[in-house]
Amino acid sequence: MIVLGSTSEVAQAFVEKALQEGEKFEKIYLFTSNKETADRFATHIDVKFLQQSEVIVLDLMKPVDYNQFEYINSNLLFCATGYLGEGTEEGLYDHKNTERIIDINYSKLVPVMNYFAQKFESRRSGTIIGLSSVAGDRGRQSNFIYGSAKAAFTAYLSGLRNYLFDKKVHVLTVKPGFMDTKMTEGLPLNPKLTATPKQAADYIYKAYKKQKDVAYVLPVWSVIMLIIRNIPEFIFKKLKL
Amino acid sequence: MKPNFVQKVTNWGNFPIVEKEMKSEDSFKEIREFVLNHNEVIARGNGRCYGDSSLGEHIFSTKRLNKFISFDRLNGIIECESGVLLSDILEIAVPQGYFLYVTPGTKFVSVGGAIASDVHGKNHHAEGCFSEYVIDFKLMIENGDIITCSREENTDKFWATIGGMGLTGIILSAKFKLKNIESAYIRQESIKADNLDEIFRLFEESESWTYTVAWIDCLQKGDHIGRSILMRGEHAFQHELPQNIQKNPLRLKKKFEPTVPFYFPGFVLNALTVKIFNFLYYKKQSKKEVKSFTDYETFFYPLDFVKDWNKIYGKSGFIQYQMMIPKETGKEGMKKILETIANSGNGSFLAVLKLYGKENPQAYNSFPFEGYSLALDFKVNSQLKKLIEKLDDIVQEYNGKIYLTKDSMSRSSLTNYLKNVQSSKFVSLQHKRIINNNK
Repeated sequence: MIVLGSTSEVAQAFVEKALQEGEKFEKIYLFTSNKETADRFATHIDVKFLQQSEVIVLDLMKPVDYNQFEYINSNLLFCATGYLGEGTEEGLYDHKNTERIIDINYSKLVPVMNYFAQKFESRRSGTIIGLSSVAGDRGRQSNFIYGSAKAAFTAYLSGLRNYLFDKKVHVLTVKPGFMDTKMTEGLPLNPKLTATPKQAADYIYKAYKKQKDVAYVLPVWSVIMLIIRNIPEFIFKKLKL
Repeated sequence: MKPNFVQKVTNWGNFPIVEKEMKSEDSFKEIREFVLNHNEVIARGNGRCYGDSSLGEHIFSTKRLNKFISFDRLNGIIECESGVLLSDILEIAVPQGYFLYVTPGTKFVSVGGAIASDVHGKNHHAEGCFSEYVIDFKLMIENGDIITCSREENTDKFWATIGGMGLTGIILSAKFKLKNIESAYIRQESIKADNLDEIFRLFEESESWTYTVAWIDCLQKGDHIGRSILMRGEHAFQHELPQNIQKNPLRLKKKFEPTVPFYFPGFVLNALTVKIFNFLYYKKQSKKEVKSFTDYETFFYPLDFVKDWNKIYGKSGFIQYQMMIPKETGKEGMKKILETIANSGNGSFLAVLKLYGKENPQAYNSFPFEGYSLALDFKVNSQLKKLIEKLDDIVQEYNGKIYLTKDSMSRSSLTNYLKNVQSSKFVSLQHKRIINNNK
C-alpha cells in the first residue's frame, strides 16, 4: 500500500481499518513531509499489526526525484495529501498562502499521482483512492482557493478514473465534509455533519470494497452538496457561504 | 473562519460544564509551545473522570497521542503514548494472552489518566494500584522539557505524578507490565448477601480471590441495610473452560452494543425507578450462589456495554460519590452512610462496595488505603449539595477520604491530600476549588 500524506488522521485510520479487516500488504510506503509523526505511526502499526512499513520523506514544494521511487509497487494507493491554508481575507491576498494551497492540493501533487498511476496502469489492477473535498463541488467565498484546488483535483480523479477504466484500475474519489481532525480543530463545525477519522475510514473502506466511483463522508453531504450545486448562480452569488 | 479553541468541555458526569480553551497536538514541539505559552494548563485524556479534575483554563487533550511505541510479546511489556485507551491495549494484548494488571470499571480511560488517577480495580486487595506495574513514563514539565520518570530516575517526580491528578505536568507516554492470561474469561461466583454483616463477612472470606466487588442496594433500610451481591473472580485457565470456548479461549465474540441516543428527561430517574431496578437486579439471581464463566468485558466493564450511559442522568448531569473509610471502623461508618442515603431517597442504580488492601506507602498521592470504599451515582439536583454535606460529615468522622477522580463538590478537608504538586503552570479547576475552599 502506498500512502501519500501519511500523517493525515484519515489516512492513518484507513490503514488501520484495512489491517483490521485482514488486508495483507507486503509493505506500506508512508509518504510524508513530517518524518517525526510518520515514524511514530510506522512504529504504531508495527506494534499493533506487525506490519512492515517505510517512511519516505516527500516535500512537494521541492523538486521530486522520481528515480528513488522506482522500487515501490503496490495494488492500493491512498492519497490524503492536502493543505487547508488560511481561508481568511488576509489569507486570500497572501500570495505565498495561495500558491501553497494550489501546489499541495493540485499542481505539485498531480505529477506524483501520475507517476504512481502509470505503475497501476502497467499492472492492470489495483485501486487509487484520492481524498478531495466537498469544498471542490462549488466555490464559496469562505474558502474558494482551497475549494478551487480541490475542484481541480476532483476533475483530475474523474479523468483518471475514465482513463484507467479499461486498464482495470479502480479510482475512488472521496469527498469528505466536515472532519474532526487536526486540520479543522477549533472551527465551529456542526457535530451532526462532522465525521471522526475512524468513521471516515469505515465509509471509505466500504466504498473501496464496493468499487464505488465517488463517496461522500458522511453520506448526508451528498444531499447537502446536491442542493448547493443546484442553487442558481444569480442567487448563489448573494449568499454568505 | 478563524479557529477558536474555547469550547464547552465537561467530563463523564456532565457536571460541571465549562467554556475553556482546549487543544490537542500530536507533535512534541507543538505541545511544548502550548505549555510555554499558557499559564494554568491541565492535561485531559478521554474525559472519563467524573468531575472537574481534568478541566482547567487551558486544557491539553491527549487524544492525538494515540500511538503504540513497543510491545514485548515475550515479556508482556507495553509502551504507548498517553492518549491510548485501555481498550486499545486490550484489543492487542488479550489475543496474545495478556491482560492489564489493574483496570478500573471502564476500559475507556487513557493511559495518562490511569497514571494521574493511579486507578484501582476489583483486585486492589491482591494486586494494588495501576502504578505498581508502571515501569516508567515521559513527563513534560513546566519548562517544556521532557523527562523520564521511574523508580530509579527522577523518582520525586515519578511518585508525585502517580495519583497526582496531572498537576506535575503532561504525561506523554508510559511503559508498563501486563499479566499473563490463558483465556479471556473469568471464573466467577456471585453470592447474595442479605445485610451488611453478611457482605462484610463475605469480603473477608474472599480475600484469597484476585477479584472481589459487591453491588449494593443503597435504598434498603433496617434489617436489609447492605443487601448486596458479591462477585468474585479469577482469570479462567483454558482447561477449566466449557468445551465450546476452550478451542479459542482468547477470542471474544462481537456483541451488540446499544447506545443511549439522547439525554433522558429528568423525571425518568427517580427514587421509584431506581428502587425497581435494584429490586430486579437483586431478584434476577434466584439462587444464593451462582458459579459461571463470563467474558472479561462483562465482568470488568458491565457499563461500557451501553455507550453514553451517562446520558440517562439527563442534562443536569450527575456526580459519582466515592469515599473510603479505614477497615477497623468500616462497618459502622458504612452503615451510617447507607442509612443517610436511604433516608434521602436519592439513590443510584449501581452502588459499588469494595474492600481495599494495604496501600503502597511510596505512592503517597494514591487514593486507596486499607478499608472499605463505596461508590455511587447521584443525579445533580437542588438537594444534592445538602446530602453531600451530610455524607462528608460521616466520612470525616471516620477518618476517610474522597476519590479526586470522581469529586466535584466534596469539602476540602477530605480532598486536599495531594503532596508535592504545587505548580503555577499545571493547575486544574478542581485543584483551585480545593485550595480556595481550604483558605
